Amino acid sequence: MGVEYKINRLAATNDMRPMVDRHWAELRAAKERGEKVAWASGPSFVFPYAMGMKCHFMAGYAAYCGGIGAADELMKLAEASGELPETCSYHRLHMGMVEAVKKEIPIKKPEAILPLPDLLVAGRYCTEQSHYSESFYRRMGIRVSPLELPFIFEKEDRPRLREFVYRQIKENVIPNLEEVCGKPFDYDRLSEIISVLKKAATIRNECWEFFKTKPVYWTLWDYAVSMAPVIYMMGDPESVPFYEKLLKELRERKEKGIPAMAPDGEKYRIYWDGWIPWAFLGKFMRKFTPNGAVCLCGRYPWEMFPHPELLDTEHPLETVADWMYGEKGLAKNMAPKESVEFIGGLIEEYSIDGLVMFSSKSCRMWNLSQMDVVDALDKRYGIPGVVIEADMIDPAMISDSQIDIRLQALFETIDGRRRR
Amino acid sequence: MQKVLSKIAEVTSDPYAYVAGLKDRTGKRIIGCFPMYVPEEIVHAADLIPVVIWRGNESVTWGHAHVPAYDCGIVRSFVDDAVRGKLGFMDGMVFHVRQCLQVGEFPLIIERNVKPAYMKILYLPPIYPGDGVRSFLLDDLQSFKTSLEDFTGKKISDDDLKRSIDIYNENRSLLERVYEIRRERPGILKAREVMQIVWSSMLMPKEDHNELLEELIKGMEKKTVESKGDRVKVIPVGCLCQTLQFDILDMIEDMGMVIPDDDLYIGSRYFANKANINGNPIEALADRYLTKIPLCPTKGVWDIHWGDEAIKQMKANNAKGIISIRVKYCPPHTCYYPDFKSKMMEESVPEVMIEMEHEIMSLEGVKTRLQSFAETLGGV
Ligand code: SF4
Ligand code: SF4
Repeated sequence: MGVEYKINRLAATNDMRPMVDRHWAELRAAKERGEKVAWASGPSFVFPYAMGMKCHFMAGYAAYCGGIGAADELMKLAEASGELPETCSYHRLHMGMVEAVKKEIPIKKPEAILPLPDLLVAGRYCTEQSHYSESFYRRMGIRVSPLELPFIFEKEDRPRLREFVYRQIKENVIPNLEEVCGKPFDYDRLSEIISVLKKAATIRNECWEFFKTKPVYWTLWDYAVSMAPVIYMMGDPESVPFYEKLLKELRERKEKGIPAMAPDGEKYRIYWDGWIPWAFLGKFMRKFTPNGAVCLCGRYPWEMFPHPELLDTEHPLETVADWMYGEKGLAKNMAPKESVEFIGGLIEEYSIDGLVMFSSKSCRMWNLSQMDVVDALDKRYGIPGVVIEADMIDPAMISDSQIDIRLQALFETIDGRRRR
Repeated sequence: MQKVLSKIAEVTSDPYAYVAGLKDRTGKRIIGCFPMYVPEEIVHAADLIPVVIWRGNESVTWGHAHVPAYDCGIVRSFVDDAVRGKLGFMDGMVFHVRQCLQVGEFPLIIERNVKPAYMKILYLPPIYPGDGVRSFLLDDLQSFKTSLEDFTGKKISDDDLKRSIDIYNENRSLLERVYEIRRERPGILKAREVMQIVWSSMLMPKEDHNELLEELIKGMEKKTVESKGDRVKVIPVGCLCQTLQFDILDMIEDMGMVIPDDDLYIGSRYFANKANINGNPIEALADRYLTKIPLCPTKGVWDIHWGDEAIKQMKANNAKGIISIRVKYCPPHTCYYPDFKSKMMEESVPEVMIEMEHEIMSLEGVKTRLQSFAETLGGV
C-alpha cells in the first residue's frame, strides 16, 4: 500500500478572503461616495494609492474572480459580445465585466462587478495590457495614463530602461493623477505605503523560510492566496497583522511537527512556473497531493519584494522604479535568460526536485522560451521539468489528460533519477 | 514587365536560396530583421544586407520542442527554420521584443541553439505621450547603431545613414507608384503579384529592387488593362508580420472581387511614410517609427481608430467592403478586432474576417466565408 497523502490546511489563510472582499467592496463604496477611482494594469496601482484613490489591479481582479467562480460567466459574456476566445483570459474577463456594467446584465456573482474608473493607469508589462486600456478608451472614453514597462532582456540595458520608466512616471503618470484628483502627488503617502509594505514583506520573508525546510510547513497554494497584502493590497494596515498571524502558525507547526503534507511530509518538492491557476487551485491540488508532491515556490509569486531591505521610504519614487528595474528588480525575471538564473537560485535555495512550467495558452508573459528554460535548468542542475498547457481562469483551455500524463512523467523521471 | 515579375516570383518562391546566394554573390553579411519595425536603414548603412525575416513554407517540426503551438505562424516557423539550420546564412538577427509577447520567445532560443555572430534586441516603445518616449527611442536606435559599428568595426557616419535613407525612400516612392497605377487600373497586377513585389523588397538589396521596380513601372505604364469597372472592389486589412497564403488572394479575385489597394504589412504598410532626409538621420528614423498612420495595433495608439482609417481607405478607393486578415494567435490584432468589427457595424461597412494559420488550412471554410461576403456585396 502506498502512502495516503493529505494536505494539512492552514487556519491563518482563512482571514484573507474577508480582507480581499473588503478591498473590492471599498472600491465600489468609494465610487458611490462620488470619489474618483482608478484601474491599473501592471504594478502601477501604487500611484493611485498614493493619491488616496481606490484602485483595481488587473491580475488581482482576475484572481479574485477566479477564486469566487465568476470568471467563466464573465468571459462568456465577453465572447457573446464579440471578443475572440484566443485573447488573454484576463482581457476577456474585463471586457465581459464591462459588458455586464454597460448593458446592466445581471450575473450570478454580483460582487464581481466593479465601477468603471475615472482613470486607467495602464502599465504595459505585456502588450495586451495596452490593447485592453486602448479599448476602454475607445469604447467609453475613459482617460488613460499609459506606462511602458519593458522586460529586461539584456543586463546592460537595465539602467536605460530604469531611466525610461522613471521618466514616464514623472512626466505622465503623476501629472495625470494630479489633474484627475485636483491635488499634488502625495509623496508622503507613498512613503507610508512603502513603509507598511516593507514590514509586511519582511515578515512574509520569514514565512518563506518554512518553504526551505524538509518537510515544508505550507504550500505555494497557501502563499498564493496570501499574496494580496504584498501586491495590490500593499500599504493596508491589516497586512502586517495578517503575516504575523501566519508566521505564528507556521512556527507552531514546526514546533509540533505538523508538515504541510500529512502524514510525514512531501515526496516531491516542486517549483511552479508562471501564473497561479486561480480558478483551478483545488483541481491542481488534487493532482499533486495524492502523489505526495508539493509546489513550494515560483517565479511569479516570488517577484513581489523578495528584498524588502531594499525598499527605501526616504526616496519613495526611486524605490518604486528600483523595485521594477533595480539590480534585483522584478522586470528582469520575466525575460527568459534572466529567468534561468533566477529559477536556478530557487532550485538551490528550496531544494527543488522538479519543475512544473505552467504554460498559459492565452497569456504568454511567463511562457517565453519555457521549453528552453527547462532544458537549460536540467542541464545545469540535473532537475527535470515538464511544461503543462492550461490557463489561469479559462476552463475551456484545460485538458486534464494532458496535464495528468505530463505530471506522471515528471514524477517518474524524478524517481528514476533518485534510483541512479 | 513579365521578366521583372518572373524575377520577383523566383526570389519569393525560395527566399532561402535567394538570400544565401545573395551572400555568396556580394560577399556581404546578412542581417535578419524580424518584422515589423526594425529600421533596416541602419543595417544598410553599416554595409550589411538587411532582410526581413519571413514565414517559411513548411510545417513546424523541430520547432515544437521550443515554442508552443499557440504562438503565431511566423514565430513558430522562424524558430523551426532556425533550429533546423535553415537560416545558417544569417550572420545576424534583430528582434523588437516589445512588439508582442511572442517576439520575446526568440532571444534565449536563438542564443542557446543557433546563435549568430550578431544579435540585437530592440525595445522600440509604443507611441505614448511624453518626451521620454522619443528620447528612449532615440537612445534605442543609437544603441542599435553602435552595436552594428562594434560588429563591423566601422563607424556609420551621418552621411552613410542619409545615403541609405535616400535609397530606402526611393524604394518607398517606387512602390507607391506601383500602388498608384494599380489604384488607377485595378487588376493590372494580380494581388499575389503585388504581395510578391513588396515581399521581394524585404529580401533584395534595395538598390537592386529599385532597378527592378523602375522597369516594372515602365511596363505597367504602358500596359492596357481591360476595365474592371463592373467588379466589386475590396480592401484587405491586417495580416501582421507575415505573408498571406497566395491562394486566398487568388480566391478573392476568382470570386470576381478586385483589390485596388491594401492595408497589409506585406503590402502598403511596409513602405508607408518616408524618413526625412534633412537633419539628424537617427531622429528621422525615430520620427518615421513614431508616425501613427498606418495605425498598427502593436504601437499603443488609442486616439485614432483603425476602423476609421480602414473606412477612409476603402472610400478613397471606391471600394465596397473590407476583408480582415487575422493571423491566428496574433494578440495585437485579435484584441483590437472586436472594436474594429464594431466600427464596421456602426458605419454599415460590409466586412468579413479570415483567420490565417501557418499550417495548411482548410481553404473550403475560407471559400464559403468569402463567397457569402461576395454575395452580400452584390454585383458579383
Ligand atoms: S497577456 Fe498575460 S500578462 Fe498580459 S494582460 Fe493578459 S494575463 Fe496579463
Ligand atoms: S503576427 Fe502578431 S503575434 Fe506574430 S509576431 Fe507579428 S505581431 Fe507578434
